Amino acid sequence: MSAVVVSSVTKTFNIGRTDEVTALSEVDLTVGDGEFVSLIGPSGCGKSTLLRLIADLIEPSTGTVTVAGKGAGQARKEQAYGIAFQQAGLFEWRTVLRNVELPLELRGMGKAERKARAEEMLTLVGLEDFGGHYPAQLSGGMQQRVAIARALAVQPPLLLMDEPFGALDEMTRERLQSELLGICAKTGTSTVFVTHSISEAVFLSDRVVVMSARPGRITASVTVDLPSRDDAGRQSPPFFDKITEVRQALRGTPLKTVS
Amino acid sequence: MKWARSILPPVVVGVLAIVAWELTVSLGRVAPFILPAPSAIWRELVAQRQNVWEAALASGTNALIGLAAGAVLGVLAAMVASRFKPLTEVSIPFAAVLNALPIIALAPILNNMFESTSSIPRRLVTAIIVFFPVFVNTLRGLREVDPIHRELMHTYAASGWTFARKVRLPGALPYVFTGLRQASSLAVIAAVVAEYFGGLQTGLGSRITSAAAFTAYPRAWAFVVGACLLGLVFYLTTLLLERLTMPWRTRLIA
Repeated sequence: MSAVVVSSVTKTFNIGRTDEVTALSEVDLTVGDGEFVSLIGPSGCGKSTLLRLIADLIEPSTGTVTVAGKGAGQARKEQAYGIAFQQAGLFEWRTVLRNVELPLELRGMGKAERKARAEEMLTLVGLEDFGGHYPAQLSGGMQQRVAIARALAVQPPLLLMDEPFGALDEMTRERLQSELLGICAKTGTSTVFVTHSISEAVFLSDRVVVMSARPGRITASVTVDLPSRDDAGRQSPPFFDKITEVRQALRGTPLKTVS
Repeated sequence: MKWARSILPPVVVGVLAIVAWELTVSLGRVAPFILPAPSAIWRELVAQRQNVWEAALASGTNALIGLAAGAVLGVLAAMVASRFKPLTEVSIPFAAVLNALPIIALAPILNNMFESTSSIPRRLVTAIIVFFPVFVNTLRGLREVDPIHRELMHTYAASGWTFARKVRLPGALPYVFTGLRQASSLAVIAAVVAEYFGGLQTGLGSRITSAAAFTAYPRAWAFVVGACLLGLVFYLTTLLLERLTMPWRTRLIA
C-alpha cells in the first residue's frame, strides 16, 4: 500500500471571482511506504498547496487524495500523519515536554504513557535535557527540533514537512538534515518534504519531484540514489550530478545540454 | 546590587520630592487648606491609622468584589463574543458606548435603587468600570490566534472546545492581564469615588469628604494616602498574580 496517492488533483482558489487562480492542475503523485519525497519548485508552483491537500488542511477542487489507503479527511482525524512547518509553531505557555505531549493528549493517551513517549521523542532529536524549558528559552534550531519531535510523537506512518529548515542557518540546517534522515531510517516513516533548496532536496530524498508554476504541475521526477547520506555523500560526484539534473529540470532545459 | 540600583533612584527622587514639598509649605507659608505639609499628613495618618485601616478595608472589599465580578463578566462576555463573529462586531461599539458613559455619575442613581445602607451600588459601579478594559483586551487576545496553531489543532482533529481551552485561552492570558492591570487601579478609584455620593459612611471616600467638610485637611489627606496605598496594593497583587499565572513569561525576564 502506498503512503500517499494523489490522483488528477486540481486546486482552484477563489472560484468564480476575478482573482480566480489555479494553484494545481491535474497533479498525480504517489509516495511509497518508507519513501522520502521532496517537492521542489519556484515560489507559487503549488508545492505547499499540494502538501496542505495531503494534510487535509484544504480540499481539492477535483481529484482525490488518499493517505494510507484512506481519504485525506479520515487520515487526518486518525492522526495518520505528523506535520511540521517553517515556523516551529510551539505553544509558548507549554514546556518543551508538554508541547510534544499535546498531540498525544488530544488522542486521550494516559499521563504517564504520554510523558514517557514525549521523553523518548525528545531523546530522538537530542533534546532530552530541555523538557522542562519553555520554547522561548531555546534557539531557533532547537525549537524546530521540538516541532519535529512533536510531529513524530504519535509515531505516524507519514511525516509532512513544509520547509521546516527554511528559517535556519546553513550549519544548523545540515545537522538537522542528517538527524532527520537518521530518524526516518529508524522509524520507517514515509516523508513528503517541501523545500526550495536543491541541495537539501537531493541530499534527503529518494525522489525529488520538480514542479513549475502557473498553473502548478509536476514537470519531472528525479530518482536519487546516493552511495551514502552523510558528509561523504555530500562530496560525492553522484550528489553533484543529481543537483545538476534537478536544476536543469527546474529551468526546463533538456538534460543533454551539459557536455 | 542590581536590585539596589533599580530601587534606589525612585526612592531618592521620592524622598527629595517630599522634602521639597515640606520646605515649600513651611517656608512659603502655604495655608494648610491649600496644601498641608507632609509632616502634618503623616501625624494624622499615624493618629488615624486605625480609622484609615478600617476605611481601607471597607473600600477595598467593595473594590475587590466589583473587580472580581467585572473581570469574570468581562472574560466570559469576551469568550462568547469571540465565538460568534457577528457578535464581536456588534459588541465592540456597544462596549465603547458603555465606556464613554460617565459610570461614576450613575452612583447617585444606583444609590436610589437600593437601601441607603447597601454597598451594592458601589460594587456595581466598580464592576461596570472594570468590565470594559477586561472585555476589550480579552477579546483581542482571543481573536489573535497564531495561524500555525490553528492549523496544527486542525491536524490534531481538535474540537472547538478543546481548541478554546488549549490554545485560545492560554494565548489570551497576556491580554487578560493587560486588562486586569488597568482594571485593578480603576476598581479602587471607582469604589472610593462612588462613596462621594452618599450611602454608607464607612469607606475612604466618605472619610475624605467628611474630613474636608470639617476643614480637617491633613486628615482628609491622610485618607487620600490610604486610598493611594490601597490602589498600589491592588496593582501589585495583580502583577504578582500575572507572574504566577504565566511562568513562561517570568522565566524570560530572568
